[in-house]
Amino acid sequence: MATRRPPLQVTLSVWKALLLREALTRLFKGRASWFWLVAEPLAHIAILSFLFTVIRQRTIANMESELWLVLGLVGFFSFRRTAGQGGAGIASNRSLFVYRQITPVDAILVRSLIEILLMVIVAIIAFIGIGMYGLDIIPHDPLLVLSAWSGVWLFGVGFGLVLSVFNELLPEIGSILKLLMRPLYLMSGVLIPISIIPEPYQSYLMYNPIANGLEGMRSGFSPFYHEVPSTSVSYLHLCSLCLLVTGFLAHRRFRKELISK
Amino acid sequence: MIIAENVYKRFRTDHGVGDWILKDANFTIPKGKSVALIGQNGAGKTTLLRLIAGVDEPTRGSITRDCSVSWPMGLGSGLQGSLTGRQNMKFVARIYDRSDDIEEISEFLEDFSELGSKLDQPVKTYSSGMKARLQFGLSLAFRFDVYISDEMTSVGDKQFRQKAKAEFKKMVDRASLIMVSHGEKTLKDFCEAGILLSGGKAYWFDDLKDALREYNKEIGMAAKQRRAKRA
Repeated sequence: MATRRPPLQVTLSVWKALLLREALTRLFKGRASWFWLVAEPLAHIAILSFLFTVIRQRTIANMESELWLVLGLVGFFSFRRTAGQGGAGIASNRSLFVYRQITPVDAILVRSLIEILLMVIVAIIAFIGIGMYGLDIIPHDPLLVLSAWSGVWLFGVGFGLVLSVFNELLPEIGSILKLLMRPLYLMSGVLIPISIIPEPYQSYLMYNPIANGLEGMRSGFSPFYHEVPSTSVSYLHLCSLCLLVTGFLAHRRFRKELISK
Repeated sequence: MIIAENVYKRFRTDHGVGDWILKDANFTIPKGKSVALIGQNGAGKTTLLRLIAGVDEPTRGSITRDCSVSWPMGLGSGLQGSLTGRQNMKFVARIYDRSDDIEEISEFLEDFSELGSKLDQPVKTYSSGMKARLQFGLSLAFRFDVYISDEMTSVGDKQFRQKAKAEFKKMVDRASLIMVSHGEKTLKDFCEAGILLSGGKAYWFDDLKDALREYNKEIGMAAKQRRAKRA
């Protein structure tokens, strides 16, 4: 212990330890929590798919509505769950900060990683499900799908980082940010296609980076999908980058205040 | 050696900046010397321990360490309640990059803590004495130069305290202890020097007995003042 370990090695071992610990906690917290972890988002998807396809309509903007829904929900959950977990990351890991090599950023990044791993598992199960239903589940432009999906997730990571700082130092603003997250479910084109909304309101809605990400994921899946014309995945990535930089800077600037409480 | 120079510390509260808890504290803890931190409730003992351990940073001033310092062991701090004692041990081994020695650490922990099959049950089912056994055993399994303990030994039973003391005697040439406790006997058992915290300042005493005498005088004076005010 006399020699000092290089900082990167410290961080990597902390991430590994946190990942295993957080995963264990989430999986075995209560009775069969490992089941609900995956079943909860899947049930959400299944119920909505049932409502949409059986009662409402077969296709949305020239895409099978199951596929349209699954892509939207998986993408949106990748944002919302990551942002929510990240935002609460400091408060629920406070007991960890007695080990000085663990910083709040580590806790939030590891939580975000766990959320996206979880969403990948959920997506795989959901796609196998609709694949067995007879739909084509091979994306025609996988890179675009991955880029848009990772963009939505990174936006969630950045949002979580910023939210966590506010939650600790200015809880009032934290509550407002959380309130702002609510209507996003309806305004990001998860359930209501933005393409059916008339101008000029459609352009307003496309200022929302998440809506761009979801449309990007869908258009990467099928070449025949009629996406909203102004969709731009680079806009989403730019917004994510801004949030991430803001979040990291805030964590660096307020590291003392975040730990001591 | 641990050197504190002009250490100031205050905390943010919901209503602005709080009062200074430490105000220009200066001291040097020589290598290998076990020190007791004494002072009244709210004198800043736990705060100072956290600063020495490097968990928190002083608002002003600096603390320099040229030795490895353990994490501050407090009641149940740093343990995850829903994980078992063994899983907590593995976590700590991993963050200190000692995952290759997990078996060795595990053996030591089993032997020291005497928790038996309880080691494989969630920490939230532990009593506070059992938690103290786990934490003490855990930190002793890692080779630190300085161990930091906040009111930990007082919850253990007699047998555990004797064991901890024996373990410390064994490594007195390589490690020392900085501790907070309200039990004078415990302090005398473990420490030789003392730091008295009073009014945000830190006073160093080479002999713990002098520190305790000064502390008792301070309490006596406070009591006398209260009596004078009432009269």
